[in-house]
Amino acid sequence: MSDAQFRRIAYGSVSPFALLQSRRNSAVSLSKISSPYHVEWWEYVMEYSKDINSLLSDPKSLTSPAIEDPKAVLQKAEEPICLKAAWDVMEIFYADKQSQSWLPERLVDWLAAYNGLLSSTQATIHSQLISFQKELVTLQVIEDSPKYWEVLSAALAVGWLDVVVKMLRLHGSYQLDQIGNRETENGLVEAVAVLISKMPRLRPELQAGTLGECHRAKPDFIKAWEKWRAHITKLDCSAYWVRCDHDQTRKGLRNMLQIMLGNTNSLCTATCHWMELYIAHFLYIRPFTVGLESMYSLARKCMQLKPMTISHRLIQLLLGIIGDNTEVVLAECSRAFGPWMVAHAIELLASGSDQAETLLREEHYNLGGISIEELHRLVYAQVLSSDALTWQIAPIYLTSCIKQGMGLLEILLSKQPVQDVQILLKVIEICRLYELDSVSSNIMKIAGVYHWKHGRKGSGVFWLQQARDEVRLNRIAQQLFDFVGQSISDESFKQWEGLIELLGSESKTAGGLEFLHKYRDFKKSLKQVNDGKTTDAAQQAVESLISLMKNPSTPQQFWLPILYDSLKLLSCQERPLLNVSETNLLLNKLQELSMAKLRPDFIEADLPPQALGSVRLALATNLGRAIVEE
Amino acid sequence: MAVIGTALPDPPRIHRIPQSKYVDAVRWLPQFSAFDRFVVLALFDSSSDSPSSIEIHSLDTQAVTLSSQSTWAPPSRVSSLKTSQLPGRKPLIAAGTVSGSLHLLLANSVDASLESEFSVSEEELHVGRVSCVDVMEGGGEFVSVGEDGRVNLVSVAGSELSFRRFFDSQGLVSYTSAKWASPAEFVTGGYGFSLQWWDQRKPGGVASQLKGNWAQRMSGIVQSIDIHPSRKHTCLAGGSLGTVFAWDLRWQQQPIILSGIGVGEDGTHPACESEVWEVQYDRHTKSTNTGNISSSRVLPAMICSEDGILAVVEQDAEPIELLAEPCAINSFDIDRENPSDVICSLEWESIVLLTRP
Repeated sequence: MSDAQFRRIAYGSVSPFALLQSRRNSAVSLSKISSPYHVEWWEYVMEYSKDINSLLSDPKSLTSPAIEDPKAVLQKAEEPICLKAAWDVMEIFYADKQSQSWLPERLVDWLAAYNGLLSSTQATIHSQLISFQKELVTLQVIEDSPKYWEVLSAALAVGWLDVVVKMLRLHGSYQLDQIGNRETENGLVEAVAVLISKMPRLRPELQAGTLGECHRAKPDFIKAWEKWRAHITKLDCSAYWVRCDHDQTRKGLRNMLQIMLGNTNSLCTATCHWMELYIAHFLYIRPFTVGLESMYSLARKCMQLKPMTISHRLIQLLLGIIGDNTEVVLAECSRAFGPWMVAHAIELLASGSDQAETLLREEHYNLGGISIEELHRLVYAQVLSSDALTWQIAPIYLTSCIKQGMGLLEILLSKQPVQDVQILLKVIEICRLYELDSVSSNIMKIAGVYHWKHGRKGSGVFWLQQARDEVRLNRIAQQLFDFVGQSISDESFKQWEGLIELLGSESKTAGGLEFLHKYRDFKKSLKQVNDGKTTDAAQQAVESLISLMKNPSTPQQFWLPILYDSLKLLSCQERPLLNVSETNLLLNKLQELSMAKLRPDFIEADLPPQALGSVRLALATNLGRAIVEE
Repeated sequence: MAVIGTALPDPPRIHRIPQSKYVDAVRWLPQFSAFDRFVVLALFDSSSDSPSSIEIHSLDTQAVTLSSQSTWAPPSRVSSLKTSQLPGRKPLIAAGTVSGSLHLLLANSVDASLESEFSVSEEELHVGRVSCVDVMEGGGEFVSVGEDGRVNLVSVAGSELSFRRFFDSQGLVSYTSAKWASPAEFVTGGYGFSLQWWDQRKPGGVASQLKGNWAQRMSGIVQSIDIHPSRKHTCLAGGSLGTVFAWDLRWQQQPIILSGIGVGEDGTHPACESEVWEVQYDRHTKSTNTGNISSSRVLPAMICSEDGILAVVEQDAEPIELLAEPCAINSFDIDRENPSDVICSLEWESIVLLTRP
């Protein structure tokens, strides 16, 4: 199976799995008292099983030709795959509670569908039929070929009645020019064909085109069965056989009658594989359901009569199922069919019997305190996580694992590359769905820092804001203002405006555009004062200082740095630049600042420790001089 | 609740076409023959030698299958795909990649083979991912925006592409979507639900912009923009948290929110709750409020989202849900010539074709 096919099956099994889990959760919460497995539970499991089964069929199914080839013995069906065969057999034994009474017939159908898979080295009836079909074209007189009779008996033994009848009708005695001479022969062939088509079957219904008479109830069936056997015996003892000229026809037909009567030797000779002999037993010797134990011993007997050289994985699985050995079944699934099969089939196994359920769902100390069910789901989730295309499905499985699922989910999400913005958004969406707020905020912080470091300052700030990372945002705001304070070119300032827009709306510390403009003007004028260019530079600087400090949009964390920067202004030698009210304003601001320092969310500015003291001293001196002046 | 599409009297027909590679984007190729319809797919297959590819597939309307007609391998994964027509009905495909290059492919009108290819290489155009590419009506010029904050205008000059950098914010602002409004103006969208209106006649910066802060603590990214040819002053944007809003230049401070947070109180429900990947005006849906067709009314639009919803949203009406998938719908396109047909690409490697009656 190709990777793309596996992925398609993986994608498709997500919905049925999630549906079943949610149904289980609601069932558990509704009925805390009684067991959650009330009458309808197996219906849910059956629905789940059918949904997954529909995924396993090959999408390219062949369309049947318009004109049926009269010589086509076998109908062309879709290529069977092993995974579907395994799922089908598990569904038959574990999930399908309705058809437990006609289990043998289900097995007949199963073998009919998958006989071709059972062995690649040994012959199977399917392979015999295929090779005979090839020869059929070249044969002149069909009934002379011994292979024809062999194939007929074989197909009859496994219950492929439609194939048998079709082949019988190819007999030479049906041809119009032959009918006159071979009347008896033809009569015998037709009699056998009619008998076959009327075989009683213990099952509710048959597919269109398949033969037999269905009986639902055992008493009806037994009656019909006895009658049918009586007819066969009557035909076997009839006088017409003597008058049949064609040797092979007589021998072949009588052999077929022996098969229908349940003659063990005939059955053994007719079948190739032990599974076919097993099915033949159910059809002709003991058509009633029996317990698993006797089914198992019958299987063993058949295996002895027809030993296999190499055992196919389907056979091993079937033996495990019939042997009622859950561990073997799990081991076979895991070894032969992979983690997907185990993770999904456990639901079927658990609904099979109470013991199986306990085994699968109880917590094992040696597994780290988790159940077998959870273990296999985690393994499957790991497989999914390793592929870039399927990692997004893994959360569904991980969240159904109560013990270790969430931890592994957090690890999975944190490992995804945040450089790619699409993946980042998908990770955040998963976090939102499963309410993993801390994981989400961590990932956003990492993304924010990544973008900031790679020159994409705008997106860096955006992600840090989404993560509500106040620490780094404040540091960025600080960096920003340092930058603006230094370089004053209009060109770069315009570019920073876009960033300030983004920062300004949410971060309480950034202050916004208005503040930035005033801050820039203040810094410009301070620079002019320092350069000693114009005489009223100092006055301008004072004005912008005051308007800055008065403005409510000035963030508190910048008060001290601004005042510290303007120390030179405040300690101007010639005359005080600030009047009394202005100095009082600044002193009040200082007071507010020292009160604010006591609050827990106060951010200390990066200044020398005596900054506050020196500013206060300068202001006090200024106040004194200003009062003197007035 | 949103109106479910399948409960409508005439439900749309849904056909699923599974693929074996990841579909990054899907677009209809402008129809040039009455019989064949073509679709452009941007695919990614990590297990092959040339992982990314752009393929033209023909759509068989009877069997509803796609078969590949021609393919071209870009240097890296496609991040934005648009199609248009050159004058003379020559179909044109524009693709931007994650490494920052822009490619222009011209297809043959008869057999959908790829005739020629022009590109602008990654070092010159963008540093990093090309977030969005848009083609002007008539295919003359392209705008490409990227995460690096550059806005480039690219045009075909003879047999090569020439580009000029219209604006470079040096990484201070990142743009995530772009759309032409008129031959001289275009709109871009970015972080914080912001939209920028640019005018080529006023270079050097934005002509006007919107900073979307109507929802106090929730902010998001604009993923897609669409502008209706009859309402060129309004642009429709879709982005994070299921937000779809329209910005009318005449009333710049009052964006109209069609879906998303902050709408629920009025009675209409948001169409989806997560990232809206793509938004397109829907010409097929008749507006429910036919009485009021003033130019300030926002026409119905279709959106696709990360939580698997494909829906038609309209101002002051319940959204109509056309698809609700278990996986994300990453992109969709409405056929220009047959607006009843919509093709979408799903996260789980498949394409869905939706035909509305």
